Amino acid sequence: MDDATSSQPNPRDLVDLTVPPSTGAYLREVWRRREFAVVVPAQDLRAQNMDTALGQLWHLVNPALLVGVYFFIFGVLLDTRRGVDNFLGFLIVGIVLFHLTQRVVQDAAVCMVRNMGLIRSIQFPRILLPMATVNGQTLAFLPALAVALLAILATGERPSLRWLLVLGVLAAVYLFNLGAALVVARIGASVRDLERLLPHLLRLLFYGSGVIFSVEAFVTSEAWRRAFALNPVYDLITCARWCLLGTGVDQSVVIGMLAWCAVLPVVGFIAFRSAERRFGS
Amino acid sequence: MTGPPADVTVRVDDVHVHYRVYEDPRAGLKQNFSQGRMRRQFSTIEAVRGVTLDLHESETLGLIGANGSGKSTLLAAMTGLLPLKSGTIRGRSRPCLLGVSSALRAALSGRRNILIGGLALGFTRAEIESRMDEIIDFAGLRNAIDRPMRTYSSGMRARLNFAIATARIPDILLIDEALAVGDEDFRVRSARRIDEVRAAAGSVVLVSHNMAEIERSCHRAAWLDNGVLRAVGEPGEVVPAYLASYSSSRSRASG
Repeated sequence: MDDATSSQPNPRDLVDLTVPPSTGAYLREVWRRREFAVVVPAQDLRAQNMDTALGQLWHLVNPALLVGVYFFIFGVLLDTRRGVDNFLGFLIVGIVLFHLTQRVVQDAAVCMVRNMGLIRSIQFPRILLPMATVNGQTLAFLPALAVALLAILATGERPSLRWLLVLGVLAAVYLFNLGAALVVARIGASVRDLERLLPHLLRLLFYGSGVIFSVEAFVTSEAWRRAFALNPVYDLITCARWCLLGTGVDQSVVIGMLAWCAVLPVVGFIAFRSAERRFGS
Repeated sequence: MTGPPADVTVRVDDVHVHYRVYEDPRAGLKQNFSQGRMRRQFSTIEAVRGVTLDLHESETLGLIGANGSGKSTLLAAMTGLLPLKSGTIRGRSRPCLLGVSSALRAALSGRRNILIGGLALGFTRAEIESRMDEIIDFAGLRNAIDRPMRTYSSGMRARLNFAIATARIPDILLIDEALAVGDEDFRVRSARRIDEVRAAAGSVVLVSHNMAEIERSCHRAAWLDNGVLRAVGEPGEVVPAYLASYSSSRSRASG
């Protein structure tokens, strides 16, 4: 089932079973078992809404309701649309992307604890668990993305070649989410308190990412604007808005996005792997 | 039963496994506070203490001992699932702990669970699909395979679990009290599959509290007592010794 069994065993040659595999062997084993991290979350997604009246439609209805509620409160009641031409489009991009990262992080925090039975009985690269979390939430996000694009068209935007660049931003979102999931899964496995703390951290991140208001219009201090550019979620949302809505984007925001999605997966991998052998105990 | 052949498949050498567990504090918060210790209490459980054991080709080893004597911990250590405090475990391949029940989803059908369980065990999707019919037939679930697993009886679930877990005959198979499931017909079939492991020059470790089963199906028995190996040898000698110590400690306790 892994390196030791796939090669023809020589009875005279006993290998040490307690030595962790090299990074190369580990990654090869992850690649060999990649289907686990796609098929299992897809099956779980199917199981989720199986006993509801709307069934799989919930994956579409949920994001539509989410956008509707925020539009009513912040667009109609409180009128935060100051400085934004297409506020509904602005809101849709922000909420749908933030919602994805939020779900990934919340799920990653508990994915090791939830799968403790599996970890204690079957030997496999544990990194497949946070990877399955990211894949599952990303799969659930695809219908929401379709709803979002249709809704943006309905607000009067017209697709241009710039829309194609959103694929690059989505790839960056995936990489960032993967890195975040690895870090959070690693911490959540040993510090159970993280689960209690996360809702508050995520709310802070929500308001600090300009999901429902324009940072350009509301934040006047230059120093604070620079601080916003360090926030990866703000960077990702702002770049996606530039692609789909043509709103302004600063160079520092693009650089921030690229740096985060290049560095965080590597940091996450190292952090996760260093704890690999402790996850079961 | 014939004696064990000479070739070693797994060598367990002076293995110690320790657990660190939270102690549920007996004293209340106020008492702890007045005593000035607010740190939570850890204690170390020495689950396996210096076990040395060889497994040989084509043998079944029965592992016996009271609850909490370290049998399951030793099995988990042999698969590489638990970090060792000290000692080494070497093998010609990685032993495989029988069972995928922790991967299965009650809401999904038996067929989808075969896919999920197989992937968890390291099969590819194509491999599982090519063995799907064989697994369904072995589990004897042809008529129930598209029903959600939560509608299965515990015997049906156990059969599905066993069928998935042994879809590929492992070289070294570890079984933790899994055989006392299913009806008589399934018991015969599962015993036959374990014979296949041995026929392919593999080894089987069987943890069981069923002493008749240990004497019937094992070449050797190992008696684990409080994390220490008390005896290894002919089941016909080790099992009576274990039972004798058990009844004498019982009579001491009651008398």
